[in-house]
Amino acid sequence: MSSTEQGTSSAAPAEPTTAPESAAAPEVPESFYYVHGKDKVVHKVSAGALQHSALIHGMISNLGYTEEQAKANPFPFENIDGDILQMVVDWCNQHKGKPTPPEDTNLPKQKEKLFDLVLAVNYLEIKELLTYCCKQVAMMVKGKSPEEIREIWMIPTDAEDEAAEKEAKKRAGKEAAGETAAAAGDAK
Amino acid sequence: MPFPILRTPFVVLSEIISILEPSEIVTASFCSKNVNRLLKRHYQQRKPLEWKLVLDYHCWGEVYIITKQQPDDLRKNQRKPVLLIRHISQARHESEHKLIETNEYKRGFTSKLPVLYFEDQVMGSKMIVDYASDLFNLDIYGLVIDRDCIWAIDWINNRQEKMLVYFNFMKNKCNCNGDEAMDNVLRKALASDYIILKDIVSDTYRFDGKLGPAGLLFIESYGHWVTLDNLINFDFIEIMIDESRLSVSDLNSFLRHWRAGGLPRLAFLALKCKTSTIFENFDEDLQAVETDEVVQYRLSYGKKLVFRNGYSIQRMDGVKATIKGYIGFFLMAVWHERAVDSA
Repeated sequence: MSSTEQGTSSAAPAEPTTAPESAAAPEVPESFYYVHGKDKVVHKVSAGALQHSALIHGMISNLGYTEEQAKANPFPFENIDGDILQMVVDWCNQHKGKPTPPEDTNLPKQKEKLFDLVLAVNYLEIKELLTYCCKQVAMMVKGKSPEEIREIWMIPTDAEDEAAEKEAKKRAGKEAAGETAAAAGDAK
Repeated sequence: MPFPILRTPFVVLSEIISILEPSEIVTASFCSKNVNRLLKRHYQQRKPLEWKLVLDYHCWGEVYIITKQQPDDLRKNQRKPVLLIRHISQARHESEHKLIETNEYKRGFTSKLPVLYFEDQVMGSKMIVDYASDLFNLDIYGLVIDRDCIWAIDWINNRQEKMLVYFNFMKNKCNCNGDEAMDNVLRKALASDYIILKDIVSDTYRFDGKLGPAGLLFIESYGHWVTLDNLINFDFIEIMIDESRLSVSDLNSFLRHWRAGGLPRLAFLALKCKTSTIFENFDEDLQAVETDEVVQYRLSYGKKLVFRNGYSIQRMDGVKATIKGYIGFFLMAVWHERAVDSA
């Protein structure tokens, strides 16, 4: 389904997941760009699909790459896991050139990946997908009590917050003392 | 699968908060002091101006938020309760979750809402108002009370610079006359836009003060106390009185007063009588002219009323009005520029 290939940036990616262009499509051939995540798997994505990402769209506009240059220089997103980037690319391809409907059934469902997906989508500035992900997060606590919400959203209790704060202060104090001692040593 | 919400970037956190319902925000605010601070900071930066905070003290008490006004009925707005108070004695058998005890109250959770259990209803009401107002950074928009809670009018008007916008004086549970309470209520500044009165008063009750200025006065029942003198001294844009005992002669006197420049802000008047008084015989000096025009008046809360085949009447300064009488019913719409709306 997806246009991925294991390897370096020089690896030739397969065709993208986008549907074949209709007869009414513009005559100008579509340009493609290449992205990879932490796993170095390169994804070939059309410029149309990448328009969903304000970050990548901005990069493309500034670079003015030719097809060859784009292939040789995939955009590296080392902070995004490969499977997460795959989800994002799939979503961008499915929604190429059209807005997301309010209830989008094509969106990633893996709850366990939601946190990483949210971070990636936020980083890539894909507004519609971010809104959907945030709706998923908000839905998690519908009808839940404060204590249930605390568990679902991993919110520390007041006591845990206080303990963490004490610990942080203690650590900061130790570090400051260490630095002072080191500075005194240097002075000698 | 848990989601570590506090580890998300600020933009994401704000987006999630903006999706949550008001009651979910209040519920989440009880998770920890840290979350409470975070939510407060969010609403300090993005005041939810379209949300209207109301204290409903009738039947113990709750704070609710109006997120959207229903255009057809002033009383049926999208009311979303966010925080309830109940008497401490109800705590054990009512809460669906383990009770959390603090120095001031016990906190439970029932019907998807946080409930605070107090010994003292007044103290509880003040606390939930302060809590919600502080959390959302909103003034109190409305107050719904019965005669046991008249203290709340002054308390709210003293705790905020902005006057109450909506005031609803409910019928008391005891079903007995509340002349003194009604008098007390009417002499307070009340609210700027909507005043709704529903409580019971005796047949002999009379009010000798002034009422208004405000937007709308709706005496939803027991409007028999309103005399001609009261009516010409009311200062409202829209007046609706149920169970009025004003006579045809009173009405003619009122219209004469209006033509001479009385009640210059009035845009709409509706009188409903229990009797079968026919409000159609207008005195000749009023120069009411029968008209076949069909016109529509839109009330301030959105409801539309159509006038067919009424009478046109003109004030000395040229402002026109349409009046229409039925059996036991009288309507008047004044066509100030703002209110003109062809059907």
